[in-house]
Amino acid sequence: MNIFVFVKRVPDTESKIRIDRENNTIIEEELNFILSPYDEYAVEEALRVRETVGGKVTVFSIGPDEAKVVLKKALAMGADEAVLIKDDSPEAYDGLRIAKIISRLIKDKYPGYDLLLFGKQSVGADNAQVPAMVAEILGLPQVNVVTKLDIDDNKGTAIREIEGAAEKVSFPLPAVISAQKGLNEPRYETLKGIMMAKRKEIPLISLQDLGLTEEELLPRLELIKMDSPPAREAGKVIEEEPEDAAKKLVEFLHKEAKVI
Amino acid sequence: MNRKTQNLKKTGKTGRKSGMYNKVDKNIITQLEKIVGLKNVIVDPEKMVDYSHDEFSLDEIARNPDAVVKPVSTEEIAEICRLANTKKIPVTPRAGATGLCGGCVPAFGGIVVSVERMNRIIEIDMKNQMAEVEAGVNLRDFYAEVEEAGLFFPPHPGDESAMFGGLVATNAGGARAVKYGVIRNYIRGLEVVLPSGNVIRPGGKLMKSSSGYNLLNLFIGSEGTLGIVSHIIIQLMPPPAVLRSLIIPYDNLHDAIETVPLMIKRKILPLAVEFVPREVIVITENMLNKKWPCTQGNTYLLVILDAAGAEEMDRLSETVAEVCLEKGAIDVFVADDPKKQELVLDIRSKMYESIKEYNIETLDIVVPRGEIANHVEKIVEVQNKFGLWLPTYGHAADGNVHTHIMSARLEGGKIIPLSEDDWKEKLNQVRNELYRDCKDRGGMISGEHGIGIVKKDYLPYVIDKEEISLMKGIKHVFDPNNIMNPGKIFD
Repeated sequence: MNIFVFVKRVPDTESKIRIDRENNTIIEEELNFILSPYDEYAVEEALRVRETVGGKVTVFSIGPDEAKVVLKKALAMGADEAVLIKDDSPEAYDGLRIAKIISRLIKDKYPGYDLLLFGKQSVGADNAQVPAMVAEILGLPQVNVVTKLDIDDNKGTAIREIEGAAEKVSFPLPAVISAQKGLNEPRYETLKGIMMAKRKEIPLISLQDLGLTEEELLPRLELIKMDSPPAREAGKVIEEEPEDAAKKLVEFLHKEAKVI
Repeated sequence: MNRKTQNLKKTGKTGRKSGMYNKVDKNIITQLEKIVGLKNVIVDPEKMVDYSHDEFSLDEIARNPDAVVKPVSTEEIAEICRLANTKKIPVTPRAGATGLCGGCVPAFGGIVVSVERMNRIIEIDMKNQMAEVEAGVNLRDFYAEVEEAGLFFPPHPGDESAMFGGLVATNAGGARAVKYGVIRNYIRGLEVVLPSGNVIRPGGKLMKSSSGYNLLNLFIGSEGTLGIVSHIIIQLMPPPAVLRSLIIPYDNLHDAIETVPLMIKRKILPLAVEFVPREVIVITENMLNKKWPCTQGNTYLLVILDAAGAEEMDRLSETVAEVCLEKGAIDVFVADDPKKQELVLDIRSKMYESIKEYNIETLDIVVPRGEIANHVEKIVEVQNKFGLWLPTYGHAADGNVHTHIMSARLEGGKIIPLSEDDWKEKLNQVRNELYRDCKDRGGMISGEHGIGIVKKDYLPYVIDKEEISLMKGIKHVFDPNNIMNPGKIFD
């Protein structure tokens, strides 16, 4: 089974995000970057599928040289190969642009795949567009927000989250799957894995190699403004003896908050 | 059910001989109220129950004070001490009360001086890389402030609600002692209120001092018996650039522990090395609903490394992995990103909580590092002999082994509680056997918790008579009326 996983380097969800308002970007200085958590589930799932039915796991990322770190991590977890599609242009938050690059890449350079795995969305951009768009462009079946996946020779079943219920879907391969939290518990890298990953060459593919024109690569979205969410108002503290505090709290909930 | 809360009503009744002290009468309460203000004096027995014990599980050592006072300044503490010293009333200093030996229990009643309101971090002095805090600052707040300033406070004694007054009093240690030492190594200056009410300030923002006897160090680890620490000057450090946790499963405990001296022989000095049995991990996993990184093996070494850069980190971890795998480790798992490291540390630090309900006493034996494997083997032998579960884990590289004497057995991963009749008698026997083994190996009965009330009877077992008599002499110099935390360390 030939499994491809698409991963993105994103700011650590624990980091404090600072915004450069002039340039409408986030300030990368002092920011910690990680493999997007949903993508990590996708990598883990790819490894598990390989462990059950055999095959090969190749991980791709689109981004600057720094994105190699997340590819190394996927290799350390146990992926067989990793490829960087070098793209130095700034984050455009344009899912279609990325989907076009991925579709062209696999059509032209990596045909013969069985399973395309994605995180359901990248943290940071959170658009949740790329997996569906790739499936559309390539004309593949897709199952998104998957919490359980079973793959047989040439077909699979998946359970996906829907509002208030779970949906079970079966599909033929090749197919696009996007991973939701709960799909698995990603493994820890082993030291042996990290050392092997360190020595492993990561081939680079440029956007020119894919024959994409500047016109095709232009984002279709224009980012107008980027800002932080408004700061949360400080909580209200009632400093009284318990009996009085309870009375005040009830009064507050009743009259001001109007929840009781 | 938690025995402690179950029996709380009893506290306050268990009297000890306190004939040599005067009672706290109405007049004294009024004076205390004048010093700290009306609402900072507690005399209601029910409200004082919280101040009658620490984290030690048996309520037989708990006792209510006659009054709890909450000063907000050194001057207020001084006035309280002056009053107590004149009236011969025992004073027990109290900080976070996370101690495990009854160190802040008012053994003779009297006044508990709680420093909880003195929780200001006065400064982080970047020029001297030192901080000054009040005694009621807790570790959690301190770590956050130090991190914010881009600096590092290396010691990490388990419970982050511990406060600096108590950390100094017990000379607390923690997992990182192996590389960075204990609290003592970071205390540069103190402000202390003596039992007389006089205030002294040994040390300062100094890296060195050879000026007379080192009174500063005398206070560190004196368990509040010489005076009440009000301010502390703390050395900070630049933070390590890279941290990495290695989780290393083994099929048996002995191999895991024997790896540690080999690591040190290869000149690796980790930030921390902890050994943890799978059985306790599983119980903690269930409590937290979190998953430990691997399921293989029955014992783990948790090795935390720090390094100046990625290259050095790889070199260190490769050497550690080599030594471990040679000694029979199953694999070496890596937690590199902060979230995973946090998860591992979270499970490690909540282990105590997960077994606490049935923990009667936590031993704190420290042996020379080379003796840990043998001591732990002895523990397993004692466990089998008495049929009490003795979950043991801890700091594998600094010789400090925490054995928990449980009022329970472990069967198929389940905790089976025992009746009091079944464990009461065995408690002393287990303790005696383990302390004997500790002594035979050149160890001490406390590595980082202190002696308090609970270990008092055992101190003469490991400390020479002459040394104890010198200690008592020192106590007398500072506290001739024996009002300052009496009944602790020795009688």
